[in-house]
Amino acid sequence: MAITGKIRLNLQFKKPLRYFLHDSRKISTVVSEKINENLKESNNERLDNTKLPLELLDYRFKFAEFLPDPNPLHRNKIREKLERRDMLLRRSNVEIPEFYVGSILAVNYSDQHAPGKQNRFLGICISRTGQGLRASFILRNVIDKMGVEISYFLYDPTIQKIEVIRLEKRLDEELFYLRDAPPEYSTFPLDMRAKIHAHGTCVPINEIKVPLNPLPWLQRWERMNMKGIIDCKSMVNEKRRIKAEYKIHTKPWEKYDLMKMYRETIPIEEQKEIFAEIYSSLQEHEIHRLKSKRTRSLVKPIKTG
Amino acid sequence: MNSILKVCVGQQAVRNFLKPTLETFTITSRGKKLLNPPPRKRLSPWLIKQNRVQHRDDLTPENKEFIQQVIKDKYAPSNNDIERFSPLKLDTIEPITEWQPHYRRVGVIAKKIGIVPLWLKNGKKIITTMLQVSDNHVIKYIPPEEYKPMISKRKTVWPRTMGCLIVGAESCDPQLFTKEYCGLFNDSGVMPKRLLARFSISPEAALQPGTPLSASHFQIGDFIDIRGKTIDRGFQGVMKRWGFHGMPASHGVTKTHRRPGNIGSGSHKARVLPGTKMPGHMGNRYRIIRGQRIIRMNTKYNIIWIHGDAVAGATNSFVQIYDTVLPFKTSKALNVTPRFPTYFPNLQKEALPEELFADDLHNFADPTIIYTDE
Repeated sequence: MAITGKIRLNLQFKKPLRYFLHDSRKISTVVSEKINENLKESNNERLDNTKLPLELLDYRFKFAEFLPDPNPLHRNKIREKLERRDMLLRRSNVEIPEFYVGSILAVNYSDQHAPGKQNRFLGICISRTGQGLRASFILRNVIDKMGVEISYFLYDPTIQKIEVIRLEKRLDEELFYLRDAPPEYSTFPLDMRAKIHAHGTCVPINEIKVPLNPLPWLQRWERMNMKGIIDCKSMVNEKRRIKAEYKIHTKPWEKYDLMKMYRETIPIEEQKEIFAEIYSSLQEHEIHRLKSKRTRSLVKPIKTG
Repeated sequence: MNSILKVCVGQQAVRNFLKPTLETFTITSRGKKLLNPPPRKRLSPWLIKQNRVQHRDDLTPENKEFIQQVIKDKYAPSNNDIERFSPLKLDTIEPITEWQPHYRRVGVIAKKIGIVPLWLKNGKKIITTMLQVSDNHVIKYIPPEEYKPMISKRKTVWPRTMGCLIVGAESCDPQLFTKEYCGLFNDSGVMPKRLLARFSISPEAALQPGTPLSASHFQIGDFIDIRGKTIDRGFQGVMKRWGFHGMPASHGVTKTHRRPGNIGSGSHKARVLPGTKMPGHMGNRYRIIRGQRIIRMNTKYNIIWIHGDAVAGATNSFVQIYDTVLPFKTSKALNVTPRFPTYFPNLQKEALPEELFADDLHNFADPTIIYTDE
């Protein structure tokens, strides 16, 4: 249909909605920063032996949706293979850029009910979920003082173009707290100009922290340990503050859980297998993209006004 | 019906003295009718003990290798070549190529491998289920006069018109199975299969044992019925099992948040009416979902995409698929000629393309969908 996902309008006094999508499995590379570094160090040697480029290690963040759901009950190798093939075919027709939660994107998509049969939406990416063909992301913006969120499927063939306006990360894996923050933190002008990100440089982390609106909130943010919220614990009453300290919310045992990482991620050996399979075609798309970018830059900008 | 079990315990004198030798107790058979209905069909003659007890044989690696070599020599690698028939211990069945609308074809055993979204050409997202037809071969044909599956007490039995074809899937190491089970596959000459299924067919659709079956047995746009076993959910309450709403969480409600409430039966009846929805065992039953449309096919990996996500069973569970019996969706109603009795790749002039799509399905290799003004 015309609009690829659900549109959510944040009315001020609306009842709390269900915040997560049905299959909102987190992407399988959700790992903390420290362990990333360790992994990188330990795996450099191993990768050298097999002579695979080091880029493959970054692929798990760049192309995270190529990694399957880590739950063994949902896995099937042939299905994953065929899904990856479809994804690459789609990527040969439309450029799907690298972006993260916190990046600002603009999506052009075919819309049967819009004038000119197409539409454009710009907003901040507040979540990325799903693997394979069901990978999706949510964009949020405030338009006419009303919060608007649209969820898109990444491989939806009605998407004509995905532009990255700002390639950056935020402090958290998902930014649903922007729904409870003042509207200026999720307002972006629709004609925002893209800032060019130098090829090969690392993605900057935007360390902005947002204050929250006074209560009521859509979720109990004081229990979530979000890094990007300014001091939400002082805003709640004594009872909620004490409850937030409960072990069931702070989960002090998680750092001792040796299997947690294993359960939530795809082992590096399997990742290597998957990315080695798709490496050449991804590289082709990349070269094609850089070529077209070079030709595009030669076009003389037209003066207006 | 109540059954009486007699259990004799102990043979020794001391034990006999200490324990009662004979215990009788009854097992109540509540809900037996619903959960374990008496079988309508006779147990299949090929349904014998499959797996053998794995004893620890201290074999040397060389001996193990030798056994594998023997297996390899006996069962040639299964290929999709119709020429490789059995070593002719049976009468050959000549395929009748002409299709008649009242004929009934064989089905296949498939593996449910996952649920993925696909898009139609008008941009609509649909949910599809992927089924893999994995290594299917015809094992045995039982003609109508020998095939008597139904248990009936009638004295005059009408002559049957439908025969039976036994199909196996997933070749396995024969060392895993009993000798008797491996004997089932002697006639067809295929490697012993892990899974077997019987399909009721018209005698004209009979196939030579050893014939491989693939996803190309079906065509794009066909409607199929899918029989599978639902996920076993164990003993469940009425909210999960029957979708009752339960009772409020607060406002003075105590201890009855997920209970069914009143179960009916007025003053005169003074009993619970049969079929009342109550808590009980949920799942682990065969269910058939009918009239599913095939919208995409991969002939290399033998995969069928069907529109819909209601196929019984979890991912990587097995289902049986066959031509639908819904009167308005059969090939007779749709006026199409199916591949009869099955798809023979060597009889075709041109090989099928690897990927086949329905007319209204978007291929990811196609460019972006753009709507135009009419």
